[in-house]
Amino acid sequence: MNTLNRRQFLKLAGAISALTVTPRAIGQSTTAPRVVVVGGGFGGATLAKYVRMWGGNVQVTLVDTNASHISCILSNLVVTGAISMTRITLGFDSLKTNHGVNVLQGRAVAIDAAGNRLTVSTSAGNKVLPYDHLVLSPGIDFVPAAGNWNPNLTPHAWQAGAQTTLLKNQLAAMRSNETFVMTVPKAPYRCPPGPYERACVVADYLKRKGRTGAKVIVLDANAGITAEPEAFGHAFNVTHAGVIEYYPNATVQSVDSSTRSIVTSVKTVNKAKVLNYIPNQRAGAIARVLPLNSTGFVPVDPLTYSIAAYPNIHVIGDACAVPASDGKPVPKSGHIANSEAKICADAIVRALAGEEPDQNIATSSACYSPITDKTASWLSTNFIYGDIYDANGNVKGKGMHRVDIGEAAPNMIDGDSYEDMFDWAESMFADSYV
Amino acid sequence: MHPLTYSHAALAMAALLAAAPTSAAEPGRLLASQCAHCHGTNGAGPGFEEIAGKDLFNDLIEMKYRPVEGIMERQARGYTDAQLRLIADYLSTVPGNADGDD
Repeated sequence: MNTLNRRQFLKLAGAISALTVTPRAIGQSTTAPRVVVVGGGFGGATLAKYVRMWGGNVQVTLVDTNASHISCILSNLVVTGAISMTRITLGFDSLKTNHGVNVLQGRAVAIDAAGNRLTVSTSAGNKVLPYDHLVLSPGIDFVPAAGNWNPNLTPHAWQAGAQTTLLKNQLAAMRSNETFVMTVPKAPYRCPPGPYERACVVADYLKRKGRTGAKVIVLDANAGITAEPEAFGHAFNVTHAGVIEYYPNATVQSVDSSTRSIVTSVKTVNKAKVLNYIPNQRAGAIARVLPLNSTGFVPVDPLTYSIAAYPNIHVIGDACAVPASDGKPVPKSGHIANSEAKICADAIVRALAGEEPDQNIATSSACYSPITDKTASWLSTNFIYGDIYDANGNVKGKGMHRVDIGEAAPNMIDGDSYEDMFDWAESMFADSYV
Repeated sequence: MHPLTYSHAALAMAALLAAAPTSAAEPGRLLASQCAHCHGTNGAGPGFEEIAGKDLFNDLIEMKYRPVEGIMERQARGYTDAQLRLIADYLSTVPGNADGDD
């Protein structure tokens, strides 16, 4: 079955625009309301768990293409061999046994928004899932530059799994005086501190392995370090000085994976030993049948994560765009996805009970980034629902206003933070999957 | 109705927002769920300190207004005082896992 394209979807949306879509409330039917969730990352898993925890008699079905989710969080430590892939592999079994979530392995291929049905392609053929609420948490897709890009030759490792292993093996094969080239995508992209963290742990690995003269060249499409500028600035200029070379404003013009070569607006590298090209990003495929903003993500209502035309279709996590104050965007991260999933779950449970969404809401993100094999920095940010502001400080509407942001001061980038990183991840993993 | 909705802050918040009936959700539950990423679902671990079954309002206010020593001073700055009251009231009613890890 063909995926509904955006033109078809919009036509369909227009055809029923005179109708008010009213999700079924509990009590209107003898069967339990049905919530279908697409994507078993931190957003989708958390949504499924919390709707079951908070919603009472609600059927929840989680759809994912894989039998388990491999976390991007901590995956840079798999690249360096510090931890195993097993440690970041998160199964869905606890969601089934502890919370009664149904899990369907397959790929969501079409949304019938008017008919409240999702079509999923599975190994046993297409299955049609009727829903009262549909939640899409598909994460990101890539927007590669011109040229000859093949991620099986030059891994992005920005979706964890086989890509992570490929990059790990390529890094392990590096010798002295060889070059590791990586890109930082143009914002907005998944995990703002992630690329800088990767540069640090790769540089640290090369130093620890005695790869004298080996370099990490960071080609950043942005005007400067987009997250933790103090911590990563210090790491690049002091901790890993002489190994990391950092180039801002490096717009990627073309990539040739076969020769591991890249052309950017400020620097060209031919025949790198490792080319870790992380392309620019947009919403995952199934979400792109919905109306998108100029950067390829789905605008949502911050109280419910619903899309404009359909209050019972929700998008959470990396794929959505939350209204925020200018210059203070809601980041795309596993932690924020978990945070948004709870807002969305609560809104769905309230809608099913015939109630309005809660407006007294807050979202947050916090994370730890390894700088070496013994130290880590951290980043923390918080948002509260209310007025949001344009660049001149004038109210431009309602959304999630950033009320706080901060990073570890240099004296806090230490071994305690490195240990805390594992407590943080353990808790995140359990809150989302157990 | 949840007994803790009788607290002044909760009443003030309810009046301020003219909140809908709360049959689907206890006050503070959604806000407190934001703590779970680091302190476990319902604050009962695993992760950092268990926060279930304790009244942490004074600790949260202290962290919010003192100089930043770590990540919690930042996170406490992410909520209004009234929201911290709701969070603390909710968590104080949630059972911990009684494993002594506090």
